[in-house]
Amino acid sequence: MNNFADGRLAVNIGDIYLKNPVIMCSGTFGSGLEYNEIYETQIIGAVVTKSFSLKPMEGNKPPRLCETSSGLLNSIGLQNEGIEFFIQDQLPFVKKLKISPILSILGTSSLEFAELASKIIKIEHELIAVELNLSCPNVNKGGITLGSIPDSVEEVTSIVRKTLNIPVIVKLSPNNDNLIEIAKRAKSGGAACVSLINTLIGMAIDINTFKPKLGNVIGGLSGPAIKPVALAKIFSLYKAEVLPIIGMGGIFSWEDAIEFMLAGASAVGLGTVNFVEYDAAINIINGLIDFISKNNLNNISDITGKVKAGQ
Amino acid sequence: MKALKGEIISNDKISENIYKMTVFSPYMVKHCIPGQFVNIKCSESTVYDPLLRRPFSIYDVEEGFKVFSILYLIKGKGTKYLKSLEPGDVIDFLGPLGNGIKVDDKSDKKYLLIGGGMGVAPLFYLAKSLILKKNNVFLAAGFKDNKFIFFEKAIQLLKINYQFFSEDGSHGAKGIVTDFLNNHIDEYRDYTIYSCGPSEMLKSLKEIFLRNNIKNKAYALFEEIMACGIGVCKGCVIKTIDKDNKYIYKTVCKDGPLFELKEVVFE
Ligand SMILES: Cc1cc2nc3c(=O)[nH]c(=O)nc-3n(C[C@H](O)[C@H](O)[C@H](O)COP(=O)(O)OP(=O)(O)OC[C@H]3O[C@@H](n4cnc5c(N)ncnc54)[C@H](O)[C@@H]3O)c2cc1C
Ligand SMILES: Cc1cc2nc3c(=O)[nH]c(=O)nc-3n(C[C@H](O)[C@H](O)[C@H](O)COP(=O)(O)O)c2cc1C
Ligand code: FES
Repeated sequence: MNNFADGRLAVNIGDIYLKNPVIMCSGTFGSGLEYNEIYETQIIGAVVTKSFSLKPMEGNKPPRLCETSSGLLNSIGLQNEGIEFFIQDQLPFVKKLKISPILSILGTSSLEFAELASKIIKIEHELIAVELNLSCPNVNKGGITLGSIPDSVEEVTSIVRKTLNIPVIVKLSPNNDNLIEIAKRAKSGGAACVSLINTLIGMAIDINTFKPKLGNVIGGLSGPAIKPVALAKIFSLYKAEVLPIIGMGGIFSWEDAIEFMLAGASAVGLGTVNFVEYDAAINIINGLIDFISKNNLNNISDITGKVKAGQ
Repeated sequence: MKALKGEIISNDKISENIYKMTVFSPYMVKHCIPGQFVNIKCSESTVYDPLLRRPFSIYDVEEGFKVFSILYLIKGKGTKYLKSLEPGDVIDFLGPLGNGIKVDDKSDKKYLLIGGGMGVAPLFYLAKSLILKKNNVFLAAGFKDNKFIFFEKAIQLLKINYQFFSEDGSHGAKGIVTDFLNNHIDEYRDYTIYSCGPSEMLKSLKEIFLRNNIKNKAYALFEEIMACGIGVCKGCVIKTIDKDNKYIYKTVCKDGPLFELKEVVFE
């Protein structure tokens, strides 16, 4: 039975075609290989890989995790083995398992993004898209630092767009107050769509030792705790009619996924839930199919942006 | 590794704040090895506080009954939830996880196991597996007080040699296990060593081995706060050093929890 490719689930986000609108968020699903031991990860609309940089990155000092009320603070700091590792060691398996990959990349400057893009040329036909991580709060250079400057966002997007023939997604942060302007500049740079939200900057303190609970002092908050913030950000960007949106931030159930689509998302990203409910994607995709049937929809995208917000 | 559901066969208080939970799981019994752990969902199925799963070492495996058990200390939300479960309830867990300890089929080797506090939990299954292969096992463990008398009773059934210590003298000899080791290290020069306990204990063990130029293999099981439990989030890392003196953060959940003590950098 191949419900997961039910035609009514298929969506177009800009020029990205997905068999279903469920995407795995960067950093929470590896490249889909580990999870394939639990279920066939080829059923997922797309898997966004961990963000890869030009050179391996060692990541931040531990502790890197701290649980908060219905939330998770992390300060991983983008520990990764470098882009060549993805190309040489992981991509062959990703292909073999028929996973639909979106490659997430992170550079500290537009020059580095250009170099990353040139390394990807030879494998671009294997990818659905690239996602530019312009929103990680856990690194000093690149990430959110680059992503909060409108000029840089446009420059980086356009460099990658010009080098590659596949769609470019720009991942946005909820931590900037110029979200709409940033999204507009991503569009000028040639982005096909944006994904939001990356984690919210947060902190926790141990009252016995007076020390921060994270080795890096601050980190990024994810999970159910951030869902209302994510919905509001997506809603505001949708209203501005800039680019299609992949929505994420605390999605744990199919009901959450529907809420995100009503707020304006064309597809949804699952992050932290993967640590808690290992097969969340299956339940969420099945929930979407039932919802389509119950509501007599032709396609799931019929509900995108359909929240009745009194206009 | 598999996402599993298992019926709770028993869930009993066995000492102050310490519980033992036995779970029916033919898959675990078939596949797990000592030193591995399970990542348990510690809330009702659609409740997300506490959010993360909780990791627990495999304490024992009873092949005939197709059950495994964990030993847990009540700490916070997650373990309080576990305590509330009853026989017949079903737990949702992922396992077996981590590298674990492959017990050689070749017998007649000498093993020294060193435990501190709740760190003795994985050592029971390890000792049992080693004894099954007719190895020579000595267990030394240290506790604060006499809360672990139940553990001595369990160990006695394995018929291995052991020595227990407590800081207040209420269980076994008065003292700490690292002092014992420091004084008797020469007797264990040809033993393979496995340890598990608080990180200060592991740190002093490493120092004792270094100081005494211990050349044999010395390993320890480590703990870190975890999210995924399967190596994807890179949240549970500890600092290690490789042969070229390069520092690398390794994941406790997948690269570990077993590491050679000499490769771990204590900060
Ligand atoms: C590989 C491994 C094996 C373990 N085996 C056992 C065992 O056999 N028996 C046992 O009693 N405990 C064991 N622990 C520790 C156990 O996971 C924690 O005591 C438990 O998660 C506490 O949860 P809580 O909600 O009750 O406490 P809380 O204090 O509310 O937990 C808050 C957060 O801290 C984490 N945490 C708290 N203490 C520890 C710890 N010591 N190590 C890692 N994370 C921690 C929790 O998982 C959670 O994310 C093990 C830990 C690891 C990593
Ligand atoms: C442990 C962890 C690691 C992450 N790593 C990345 C990353 O490498 N690149 C990235 O763009 N986002 C990363 N994120 C952010 C997620 O992709 C996602 O945007 C965010 O967690 C919100 O979704 P959620 O609440 O469903 O987790 C990470 C999040 C977590 C929790
Ligand atoms: S808990 Fe995610 S890598 Fe270890």
